[in-house]
Amino acid sequence: MSYHYNEAFENPDYHFSETLEIDRRRSSQKNLFPHQSPYDSSLHVSSGEHSGRGQNYPLAVRMASMRHGSEYSRDLPRVNVLSRSPYGKSTDNLSFEPEPELALSLPSTSHLLDRPDTRGISAVSEEEKLVGDLASMSTSERIKAIQKMPENMKKKREIRNKVLKEITEKSRRGRAQLSCCTQWLQGPALSFRRFGNSLAEYFHLLRLWHGTLKIIGAEFGTSVLSYFIFLKWLLTFNLFSFLINFGFITIPQFFAAEPNNVSFTGLELFTGAGYFQQTVLYYGFYTNATISKIKNGPSYNMQLAYIFTVGIYFAICFLILLLSMAKSFCRNFINPQTYSGNAIRLLCTWDFNITNEKAVKLKQKNLSTQIKEDLMEVNREVLNLSVRERLVRIVIHLVSWAASLGTAVAACAGVYFLSINNAKLFVNWHKNDLESQAATLLLPIVTSLLNTFIPLFYSWLGHLERFQTPGYQIYVTITRIIGTAVCASWGPPEFDIGRNVLELIYVQTLTWIGILFSPLLPGIQMISFSIVFYVKKVSLMMNCQPPRKAWRTAQMMTSFMFLLFFPSFVGVLSVIGVTVWRLKPSEECGPFRGLSSMYAAVSNWIKILEGYTASKWVVWIYSNLITSALFFFILSVLVLIITYLYWQIIEGRKTMAKLLRKQIINEGKDKIFLLEKLRVLQRVKQTPPVLREQGRQSPYSAGGSRGTGFPQAWSSGTGPGSSTSAAEALALALRAREAAQWEDEDYD
Amino acid sequence: MKGPICKVYLSQDCTFFTRKEILRLFDRYRDLAPQLVPLDYTGKPAVTLPYELIGSMPELKDNPFRQRIAEVFSENGDGNMTLDDFLDMFSVLSEMAPRDLKAYYAFKIYDFNNDDYICKSDLEKTVNKLTRNELTPEEVNLVCDKVIYEADVDNDGKLSLEDFQHMIIRAPDFLSPYRSSPFSDTVSG
Repeated sequence: MSYHYNEAFENPDYHFSETLEIDRRRSSQKNLFPHQSPYDSSLHVSSGEHSGRGQNYPLAVRMASMRHGSEYSRDLPRVNVLSRSPYGKSTDNLSFEPEPELALSLPSTSHLLDRPDTRGISAVSEEEKLVGDLASMSTSERIKAIQKMPENMKKKREIRNKVLKEITEKSRRGRAQLSCCTQWLQGPALSFRRFGNSLAEYFHLLRLWHGTLKIIGAEFGTSVLSYFIFLKWLLTFNLFSFLINFGFITIPQFFAAEPNNVSFTGLELFTGAGYFQQTVLYYGFYTNATISKIKNGPSYNMQLAYIFTVGIYFAICFLILLLSMAKSFCRNFINPQTYSGNAIRLLCTWDFNITNEKAVKLKQKNLSTQIKEDLMEVNREVLNLSVRERLVRIVIHLVSWAASLGTAVAACAGVYFLSINNAKLFVNWHKNDLESQAATLLLPIVTSLLNTFIPLFYSWLGHLERFQTPGYQIYVTITRIIGTAVCASWGPPEFDIGRNVLELIYVQTLTWIGILFSPLLPGIQMISFSIVFYVKKVSLMMNCQPPRKAWRTAQMMTSFMFLLFFPSFVGVLSVIGVTVWRLKPSEECGPFRGLSSMYAAVSNWIKILEGYTASKWVVWIYSNLITSALFFFILSVLVLIITYLYWQIIEGRKTMAKLLRKQIINEGKDKIFLLEKLRVLQRVKQTPPVLREQGRQSPYSAGGSRGTGFPQAWSSGTGPGSSTSAAEALALALRAREAAQWEDEDYD
Repeated sequence: MKGPICKVYLSQDCTFFTRKEILRLFDRYRDLAPQLVPLDYTGKPAVTLPYELIGSMPELKDNPFRQRIAEVFSENGDGNMTLDDFLDMFSVLSEMAPRDLKAYYAFKIYDFNNDDYICKSDLEKTVNKLTRNELTPEEVNLVCDKVIYEADVDNDGKLSLEDFQHMIIRAPDFLSPYRSSPFSDTVSG
């Protein structure tokens, strides 16, 4: 196996520099743990645990605890406290790390001066262990582990070179055992990996709009960015829908296409009717026959294909929505109560990405404004509203609710009556002259106008109410079928995320409803979404300023989006369900002409299948699973049981988290307590030997430096008693912990 | 060009960059001071660019934390960076670096006095840098107290690395996928 690395480890003369300031200080204590801990966490990753969940680099604490110890007592025994947690393994203990190497070395040390050497030896062994483990991993895992190490480049390179040396040594040693196949495969494996890397590089370029999205994220923050990411997601979703419908319905139709006699006038682009009616864009164009190109060859039943494609498509949609929602919920609602305050905003929202000077200044201003407002809110919480003010508030709420509900009902009624009248006017819609075509646009125009102006009315109402917390306002206005409008009434407007998201969802709902009768509608929708993307992007860049308040975190936005999708999806399903089951399809055109309902195609097919013995199982599935209510009942019960189980698991984990948090606090108290004792001990050690002699002779005198509860061994100092002192310290710590636990229990 | 290629092989798989990206970063590094940085790295020269040059890069010059970033990634902690440090910095700040690695370095950046804890003075400096000194000292004090109260899990009055990481995990906004470093425009063009 030839490696270009060979040049490297032949001459690894990058001197072992002491890297960072921090490391250099630590290395004065012969730091050994930086090798161990990040490696531990990366091992966790490679062993399949969820990365990003508690992967930690507990360097600082270990070194800190060591340093604290050494601050007070260079020569005192290192206190080795094991976790007493009844719940976790001792390695889970974060504030005290069990230090097995030290524990092993300490009792054997009889001389204090040996300790630095011991630590040095342990450092080397740690690194060897790391190298050995890395060498035994697979290549990609090893690369990932090295990349993830929080060391600087030189260190990583050194370790990598050592690992490679180890590997070549191992392979040299084990070459006899290595089967010829594995050796033979290694060369191609390497070139395959290189090919995969370069391919991945090119795929990066294919990512749609990646550069634009980064710019938007940098300048306007992540909540605005989430809107555009949602738009991109919808685009890919529609692409998928288009491909399914195109593949299974349209392509077969091309084999049985009838010629198109209608002339093309420009108006079709607006009405969608006329010329387009006789194309694959419309349901009416599809044949109800069974298509077969070759005589007595395989046939393609258009009716079944149509209904099954649409049905399976919706099932897949449902699954995709469910999974996306679950994923985003998982990410965001782990612990909603814990950190909602300043801590996160301060340290985590700083975007190291922002490069535009204006944006940086703006971000800083926003942050300071937010902090000021938060501090004011803290003071304002105690404000008590008088009864009269509260009454006025309630009245305003009621009036706004009535107004918005009334408007919504009026709009719906208006559209309904208009559409009925419209239908009366166009009984003979086959007449394709210009006037009647243009007149069909009346209803859509009216609906769009209503859609534009009613939301504005709602946001005005929202302003009127002036809620205290923006969060509540969001919920209220969303339930009023519109998002929150945080329009500034002066200055450049902010990008109204809520309204735009709702528009997208509305459009997608329309697409879904229309898909049954116009299978290629997603294709048109894709074009429209692309146009919307560019239009919104341009308007954003030119007109809007970054949002003042962090609307919500970006991923909460995503959760909201998917949450809103569900009602619309359910609505679509009901509409489609009614259409397929109840409505009589058109007599003259379309794949279901002549049937009593669209669903009749399936039932007819099942009846035909009953005649063949080979397909009895299909008939059985149909009659016992799909049409039986019992099956769905059992399915629902199962789903409910699983939901209940998961809910209980979550509750249990919450309790566990609470207990563990309490444990951390207790361990912190332990640490402080023991450090105090060590400090005292240090002072004892430093008192002149005479005093100590005296102390030893009168073992029961309560010396100032000896607190109560000290075992005798402490005061006899160090040196040969170091191992016993360590054990005594351990006993002391355990006793202290028990006492603290009893205290807690009494308290509870 | 054998020099930088040699360097590339030495650094590959230690960073999150591909070979092409490393070469491009080398060009950026070299452009900062062409007279100091040799084209050929075979001799492994110990070339260090002073902080002033690094801090003047367009990606960093507006960042209020640029000095801390340079200090954290530099060898001696003084902000002067070798090519290794330069690559390291971009590697961690790039979008390919995992969240925990970024959180680790973010902790180091916020730790102004390098004592492995974010204590109150560190927080005060952070707040002042984040808000361009627009808050009064009392407000800064209040904010720092609140932050420590919320985030300090083991109750020692300062934030250790664990406290910080504990908080980061619950801040899903930190390092979402598109919050990638603009540095990658130096690499992807």
